[in-house]
Amino acid sequence: MHAPKPPPVRLPAPACESLGVARVPLRRVHRAAAAEVVSLELWAGAHLPMIDKETLTRLAERAQRFTPRVSLAPPDGLLLEVRGSLHLFAGVAGLRAALTQDCLHLKIQPLIAFAPTPSAALAAARAGKPLEVLHASQLTGQLASLPLTALRWPQDVLERLKRMGVRTIGAVLRLPRAGFARRFGATQLAMLDALTGRTPEVRAAHRPRVRFRRRRDLDYELQNHALLLTALTPLFTQLGAFLKARQCAVVELECRLIHRQAPVSCCVLRLASPFADAQRLRELLGAQLDALRLPEPVRACELRAAALVAYVPDSATLWQAGEHGGGSVRETHGFIEHLRARLGPEAVHGLALLSEHRPESAWAVTGPPAAARQHQAPEPGEVPAPRRPLWLLQTPRPLSVRDGLPRRRGPLRLVSEPERIETGWWDDGEIARDYYTALDIHGVRLWVFRERAAPHGWYLHGVFG
Amino acid sequence: MGSDPKLARLLEHPAIWRGRSAAPLQVLPTGFAALDGQLPGKGWPRTGLIEILIARFGSGEFDLLLPTLAALTRAAAARWCVWVAPPFMPFAPALVSRGVMLDRVAVVNGARPLWALEQALRSGACDAALGWARQPQPREIRRLQLAAERGRTLGVLFRPRRAARESSAAVLRLSVEPCTAGVRITLLKGRGARGTVDLNLLV
Repeated sequence: MHAPKPPPVRLPAPACESLGVARVPLRRVHRAAAAEVVSLELWAGAHLPMIDKETLTRLAERAQRFTPRVSLAPPDGLLLEVRGSLHLFAGVAGLRAALTQDCLHLKIQPLIAFAPTPSAALAAARAGKPLEVLHASQLTGQLASLPLTALRWPQDVLERLKRMGVRTIGAVLRLPRAGFARRFGATQLAMLDALTGRTPEVRAAHRPRVRFRRRRDLDYELQNHALLLTALTPLFTQLGAFLKARQCAVVELECRLIHRQAPVSCCVLRLASPFADAQRLRELLGAQLDALRLPEPVRACELRAAALVAYVPDSATLWQAGEHGGGSVRETHGFIEHLRARLGPEAVHGLALLSEHRPESAWAVTGPPAAARQHQAPEPGEVPAPRRPLWLLQTPRPLSVRDGLPRRRGPLRLVSEPERIETGWWDDGEIARDYYTALDIHGVRLWVFRERAAPHGWYLHGVFG
Repeated sequence: MGSDPKLARLLEHPAIWRGRSAAPLQVLPTGFAALDGQLPGKGWPRTGLIEILIARFGSGEFDLLLPTLAALTRAAAARWCVWVAPPFMPFAPALVSRGVMLDRVAVVNGARPLWALEQALRSGACDAALGWARQPQPREIRRLQLAAERGRTLGVLFRPRRAARESSAAVLRLSVEPCTAGVRITLLKGRGARGTVDLNLLV
């Protein structure tokens, strides 16, 4: 260990050079580097005394409404890069007030300082000085009077510096770099460099969790659906704030209702398209809750949203739906969700075309189609297709035959040329059929076929509209 | 009539509506000139409930509707075309070959078809909503008609022929039956519309 003797704060220049030590004191180096008038970054550092870890995380999530660059400085600090947000919150004063409001909401009394580097902002806040340093050139001057304890260096380092008579940041910045590094380690020097902006400091931005899971224990047990939905309202408010902070939307929302003894009742809302409007989500879940039978009163409820996707807001239309051909996409979304919430997710589906000759495999049921049109409508007549019936029976229905001709409540009259469909030999669904359009005695047009295989049976396969 | 100028001037008042003149109606062309000529406003009404009475499925009712549905789904800002509780599954290749865009078509099945149809008509998210009902109450039809007007939607309700004797709140009622080489349409109710049209569909 070195003997704690006070080092020479200033050496004559020749002596300095002979020792290979930079002659220029720390703070003058910094001044030379900070030639620019306005720094690119402005950090708000908040000192939050007696905050616990969970509250700090919650505060960080709330603070994301100011800037996406929120960084935690545990155990009791929070850093926000706010240069780009100043004009949105009426400058430094407005931002300070808004941030203070957010902290007070969580019952924390904050101390906030603004500085061009994160360490400086935090140090000023921890020293209890609400500095507002907007220009890098003023930084070292403003920091000079702060006590060294604000840097939270190890106790022995502070003790040694104190015995050297160095008590403020200004004093430590005047020490020669090489000697300082040798005596107190490169870590402390790096911290000083970051403090003054001599080297840029990289701070990891706080990444909020991408799943939502909140539980609420009810004051008393509930079985009434309407009251239950009211009890869920705070959770939906939290969900709305959560989604807004992350610019996310949900595609699946699970509501778990916890009973005293019976197993948990689950109510899952699956959405066709991402949804970010908590109020509408609440309405949709309400519609689904109505259909849920509760075995017992509910003691607690929980909302879970696991699958989050980036939210792309729709542009609102000027016209109301239907006016001047304008249809609001949002309204279109809501309608399908509403039906699905009430009738079940399988109740609403779209249709799709498959490229397949067998009539029964030429189409498919799809999920509810996307609200926005993906491709332009092709010109009519672009797809030359044979005449097909509007309704196709799930399975062909055998027809009775008399004199080689099919009958259905009377003789059928074949009115078209046969269309031969003979395909599918490569899988088990081989068909070989001759299709005809037939008229029954009422004049209804039917789509019938005759098997080409041995019994040559006649079948009804579809009805024209 | 024209003999009394005083009376004529009185009758010009916009609040007086006389049976033989029809207020201008926003319509959708049916695609058949003969039918357009008979319908009030020369086409299907843009909003409101139509009742089509058929004796059995496949009487040619969709030959009348598909050109309009195709045009609706092809419009630039097309809304949904919803089929609520159809008797069979609509066959996608047939719809495509008639020009209907499948990405605007949604099929709704479920326990409460009339409720779903009313939602579809009321929501304003649909251009057209088709429904099949066996025995709807007059009150329910009135609700559907009001919902269609509110959502600015064309509602089409298919009902059996025997309902022709009942009164209905629909703006237009017609009965469709197959005849040689086409369909015969009998207009039962419509503003200033009466009569029968034979359409040749096999051209």
